[in-house]
Amino acid sequence: MFRFVVRRLRWLARIPLAPQIFDALLLAWTAAFHRETLRAIESLEAAALRLPGVSPARHRFGGFGFLHEGREFAHLHGNGLLDLKLTRERAAEIVAAGRAQPHHVFGPSAWISFQLRTPHDGAPALALLKIAIETGSRLNI
Amino acid sequence: MRTRRLFLGMLAGNVAGGLACLLACGLGVLAKDSVWIVLYPSLIAVPFAIGLAAVWVWRPLELSIGAVLLHSLSCTLLGLGAGFLVFREGAVCLLMAAPILYLGTIAGALAGRVWFRKTSDRLNLCLAPLFAFAVAAEPALRGPHTGVVTDEIRIAAPPAKVWPHVLAFPEIRDTPDYWLFQIGLPYPIETTNGGNFVGADRVCRFSGGAVFKEKVAELVPEKLLTFDIVEMPPDPELMGHLEAHRGQFELRDNGDGTTTLIGRTWYSLHVRPAAYFDWWTHDVFSAVHRRVMKHLQRLAESEG
Repeated sequence: MFRFVVRRLRWLARIPLAPQIFDALLLAWTAAFHRETLRAIESLEAAALRLPGVSPARHRFGGFGFLHEGREFAHLHGNGLLDLKLTRERAAEIVAAGRAQPHHVFGPSAWISFQLRTPHDGAPALALLKIAIETGSRLNI
Repeated sequence: MRTRRLFLGMLAGNVAGGLACLLACGLGVLAKDSVWIVLYPSLIAVPFAIGLAAVWVWRPLELSIGAVLLHSLSCTLLGLGAGFLVFREGAVCLLMAAPILYLGTIAGALAGRVWFRKTSDRLNLCLAPLFAFAVAAEPALRGPHTGVVTDEIRIAAPPAKVWPHVLAFPEIRDTPDYWLFQIGLPYPIETTNGGNFVGADRVCRFSGGAVFKEKVAELVPEKLLTFDIVEMPPDPELMGHLEAHRGQFELRDNGDGTTTLIGRTWYSLHVRPAAYFDWWTHDVFSAVHRRVMKHLQRLAESEG
């Protein structure tokens, strides 16, 4: 359902509050049927916000955004899908190494996706967040 | 202390939601000619405001996402309880609204959880009165949503055998099979008529003593019966939310001794989001149609 909505019904994001409601639905579903994923989301959010310079934001398509020095470098959807922004080259390297998937909508691009399923996925996800921060900081210099 | 703050948050959220509704009613009265039935604010914006207000109070607790989901549920249940006890809303109606209310509350609470933690809180708080006004003013700016529900059934009898039962039918004794009827939503039992001519009165009796008064608007023997619904029962499940205007039975002769019976109901919906409540409306009216039309089918087919 998530893939269908983000690919085919993207226009719904223009309706005020619709992305937030959709993400709330995903999150409620995750809480009801995938408790481990919810725990993974909670622990990753807490760990990410402890990283220096990282602050929370609402992602425009629903979900939790993560900002570093005012720039969004990642966001987490209610179903545990983490999207991170790198450079095209760095993203290709990470996908080739099997550490993440190409972005769930854009495909091969500067964005990558990582699916959180259990709290054990927290460590590799946090490592990817650190890479995204580092890549973003390097680009800003 | 934590429990107290959690409860205060739920209370604050629901008070904010209640105030938004009252403000919407007030603005609606000023904007239109006191048409109360079209003044319900969107059932997405109101719970969003409830979630925002609740999480503002919960802010010092730094709740996790799971805790926000859980307490938003309690907040929604408190609101539904208040709706039932204070505003005399129907239980089935509240049950239908519960999922969208809960999702709206979660969305508001999660948005507030981020906004109220950020350093730029002031800007967001400045937007709060604007948001409250938008919630309240939205219903005054829109009209009712209208639609028609159509269902059909094939009856193994010619139109001449079906027609008399369409005009009036005796009591349906079957236990309802639709789940909302089983938990208390009124369901059709019997229809009587005061004559077979345009302008004649009809009465459709529902369970729980609910009575729909109707007037024949169009009558083509063995083909078409259209009636206007001139008075609806003062049922809390319907009042202000949904209005049925007109009903119709159309009989199509299939030429092989069978009839296709088509039932239609025209309605106006006064609650939003329309797409969500439209789905419920179609489901409920289809269940009403099916119950009546299956009864007519049994009556016509039993005559041989």
